Amino acid sequence: MTFANIRTYRRDSFTPVHYLVFLMLCIGFILVAYPLFWILMSSLKTTEEISLSIWALPTKLQWKNYANAWNKGISQYFVNSMLVTTSTIIGVIIVSSLCAYGLSRYRGRWINVMLVVVMGGMMLNPQVCLIPLYGLLTRLGIRNTYLALIIPYMAFRLPLNTLLIRSFFLSVPKEIEESATLDGCGGFQVYWRIFLPMSRPILLTSAILTAYYAWNEFLFAIIFIDSTKYRTIPAGLMSFRDALQVDWGPLLAGMAISAIPIMIFFISVQKYFIRGMMAGSVKG
Amino acid sequence: MKLRQLKAVAQPLGFILPCMIMLGLFVYYPLVQNFIFSSFRFSAFSPEKIFIGFENYKTLFTDEIVVTALRNNIRYAVVSVLIQVCFGLVLAAILEDRVFRRFAPLFRTTFFLPVVISVSVVCLLFGFVYNPIDGLLNKFLELIGLGSLARPWLGSGKTAIWATIAVSQWHSTGYIMMLFIVAIQKIPEELYEAAEIDGAGKLRQFFVITLPQVKEMFFVSSVITVTGSFMVFNEPYILTKGGGPGTSSITIGVHMYQSGFFKDMMGYASTLAVVIFLISAFFAVIQMTAFKSGED
Amino acid sequence: MFKKIVAITIMMAVLVSFAAATGSSEQQAAASGKTTIRFFHRWPMEPRFSYFNQIVAEFEARNPDIKIEMDSVENDAYKEKIRVLISSNDVPDVFVSWSDSFAFNLVKSGKVRTLNDMLEKDKAFANSFIKSQIGPFTFGGITYGIPLTIDGKVLVYNKALWTQAGITKEPKTFDELLVILDTLKTKGHAVPILEGLSNAWAISHYQGTMLQRYLPAAVLARDYAEATGEFTHPGYKVVLERFQKLVDYMGPNATSLTHTEVRNQFIAGKLPMMYMQLAEFAYIQASATKPDFGYFNFPAFSDGQGDPGLLTGAPEGFMMSNTSKNPEAAERFFKFLLSKENAYKFVKDVGAPVAVLGAVTNENSYPALMDAITLINNVSGSAPWFDNAVNIKVADAFMRGSQAVASKDKTVDQVVADIQAAAKVVKSEATK
Repeated sequence: MTFANIRTYRRDSFTPVHYLVFLMLCIGFILVAYPLFWILMSSLKTTEEISLSIWALPTKLQWKNYANAWNKGISQYFVNSMLVTTSTIIGVIIVSSLCAYGLSRYRGRWINVMLVVVMGGMMLNPQVCLIPLYGLLTRLGIRNTYLALIIPYMAFRLPLNTLLIRSFFLSVPKEIEESATLDGCGGFQVYWRIFLPMSRPILLTSAILTAYYAWNEFLFAIIFIDSTKYRTIPAGLMSFRDALQVDWGPLLAGMAISAIPIMIFFISVQKYFIRGMMAGSVKG
Repeated sequence: MKLRQLKAVAQPLGFILPCMIMLGLFVYYPLVQNFIFSSFRFSAFSPEKIFIGFENYKTLFTDEIVVTALRNNIRYAVVSVLIQVCFGLVLAAILEDRVFRRFAPLFRTTFFLPVVISVSVVCLLFGFVYNPIDGLLNKFLELIGLGSLARPWLGSGKTAIWATIAVSQWHSTGYIMMLFIVAIQKIPEELYEAAEIDGAGKLRQFFVITLPQVKEMFFVSSVITVTGSFMVFNEPYILTKGGGPGTSSITIGVHMYQSGFFKDMMGYASTLAVVIFLISAFFAVIQMTAFKSGED
Repeated sequence: MFKKIVAITIMMAVLVSFAAATGSSEQQAAASGKTTIRFFHRWPMEPRFSYFNQIVAEFEARNPDIKIEMDSVENDAYKEKIRVLISSNDVPDVFVSWSDSFAFNLVKSGKVRTLNDMLEKDKAFANSFIKSQIGPFTFGGITYGIPLTIDGKVLVYNKALWTQAGITKEPKTFDELLVILDTLKTKGHAVPILEGLSNAWAISHYQGTMLQRYLPAAVLARDYAEATGEFTHPGYKVVLERFQKLVDYMGPNATSLTHTEVRNQFIAGKLPMMYMQLAEFAYIQASATKPDFGYFNFPAFSDGQGDPGLLTGAPEGFMMSNTSKNPEAAERFFKFLLSKENAYKFVKDVGAPVAVLGAVTNENSYPALMDAITLINNVSGSAPWFDNAVNIKVADAFMRGSQAVASKDKTVDQVVADIQAAAKVVKSEATK
């Protein structure tokens, strides 16, 4: 044991090659981290400072850039994004867990057909449906409302999340369900009282994955929403840029406002997020 | 008896129906409609559709922009596989190496950060990086004495597409890296220990143990990356204002958007959507069949 | 835990239904006994955004029985959205429109209210505008819109930089302009003139003017019409070549800059010349540097066949829906938007020229703006914006093509061929 430790210690010390690799890692680190830091730093400078002394730290912290960005529209986009994202998450969780339960707890030819329908949905790219969806949402009278984003987001996230939750439900031992049935629970009660509470971790993963998608989605957000009033952050930042006419300080502040909360959020739930990513990639 | 049978069908149906309705109405119905639309000519603001048969498909084969767009998509795919997948794997292997374990969490988190930022923030950021006058990149080149390399990155047909591709690499390499990290963590430690005892170097360990063990993930992430490369829309839409200058950095997704919503050719845009569908279906099938074999 | 989830779900359901309901706020308004007027404009950016917010608030204060539901999207999106809305049954009660062919396309939908009766009844209102500026909203003797703003595109120059370079005379011809640009270049201005060529519309402004100056009006009239457009006249190539000549003065960065960035350079005093809208003078006026500037109408081509006295630029104004549920309230708001009092405030807040007589005075404007009004009143006529004048497919071929020419990725001949191909498609669709 001791011997092994000593050996590991020796092998773990840096050779010249290691230093080289480490140097490369540091360069990569700067390449990624500096632009992010630059957003933060420049968001506290005046527009003149940004263009004249691009590398310098701000001489006087311009917190008013943040107030400016917030008041000139980011607050509205933020609220819209929150609303659309939470609604999508709740919708996806409810509909897909119901469906997953149905698909995992019942047998039959029809069930298999429906499973294929769900899987097929995952292969489909949202871009393909863009133009008919645009017409459909117009005819339903919900284009340019929050529903124009919530409903398509839900629809395109259902397949992945259904399969994700289904694979968890499949792992639930039959006995649990049987004993519940003996206690007189109906199908829905088994789902509601037993399956849902048991699958909290997978539901959380599902929610985080959906949040990631809905918060960042761009294509639908610029096409199905016309007015600044309903824009979510990704699309709103574009109109924000146009509205500001190269007033860079507030624009950068707006970028920081939209990036920081989500960065903190995802870093804090990294474990679930990565699990979801794995599931998403392996299954789809 | 009848009632029980009915109930046996109705109960699962009750669970599955909401999902099926949504998928049917908002995913499959538009998909079918898109195929129908592709043989019509219509615009967003006129209710009448004129049937023109395969006219749009004929246009497709004479449309030079489609060629430019597909070429750009292929460039996207090649670069993305090289950088995101190959380089991402190397990065993951390095960070999972014991020597760097102390620093790994810091690097891992940092490299992953861009992934969670929305694409519009990333593109706006790179608007600042590529700005010809006040941009970070040109100023940096001047700073290190390479001012002659400074150029209008997004304003020349030769560099615009590569500059756009570079942004996507910055944005997404961390994602693929993370997938590989998880895959590498699943490799039993004993394999490496055994190799070490056999005197295998780090490089050899990588090729003999890591690579075969993450083969499946390598394949999956390649397919994801390539599929994604053919769907690129956001970066050229924002950075080069829809594939400029001219059409030099256009992609098939941007071409579809512009045909439909800018040039008023909704029918032709649907035809381009069919192309996108065929490409993504092709890769989806590859992935599925490969998965069947991988599942055993 | 589950009670919590249920509670949150219910809360969200309420929120979502509320979100959906805001889409149909007519019902809300009906419940509160108010009339709702939907107003759609294209200025989500400052300073106009605040101006319209204030105007709407003021109107609602004066008319407590009316609620204005205002919405706005920016330029390019507006072009698309207003046409979609017009074709649906969802026409806003009051909305913004450009003049000429853009207005005509909206009018063709049959959903734009005719204003002849209103103008007949209210002579005072009818006579409060510069007469010539109502013409571009009148088709077949029927008026469909009333202009708020008037505009024109002129070449502006930084007086100090011109004096330094020893330039004293404004050019009368294109060749004289090139001489001036050469002089500036030899005097140390590597980029004597610049345009943000990454904005397609900025290119179209140059080309609209140059085409109008060079080609016979009859040729343009035929080619700009969808059913007869061919663009086979050799003049198109000549104009594109001359545009390329101008672009050569703009340096390598032009294709990656935006018009706004270029304007900021001009305002900072770093750029001698640019092509600018009169409405943009306000930005110079509001800046800290306030460079002293002069301006002139785009010069003539010595071999050109178009009227060099025309000024490119068109009025922009408001229209009403003829399917409005509350035509009377809409009309009240319409007149309020175009009242002299508010036009005065518009000039003061926004600094752009307006078509309302007497709204631009020494008190609310600045000399350059007063001058601009004089210029507009004295030119022999106006030429519409190119991207509004031709079918979008042709305009796109022109704009993208010229962008590619500017970045040296395409030749003029290729672009002319692309334009002709686009015109062929447009023609075949229009005549079918």
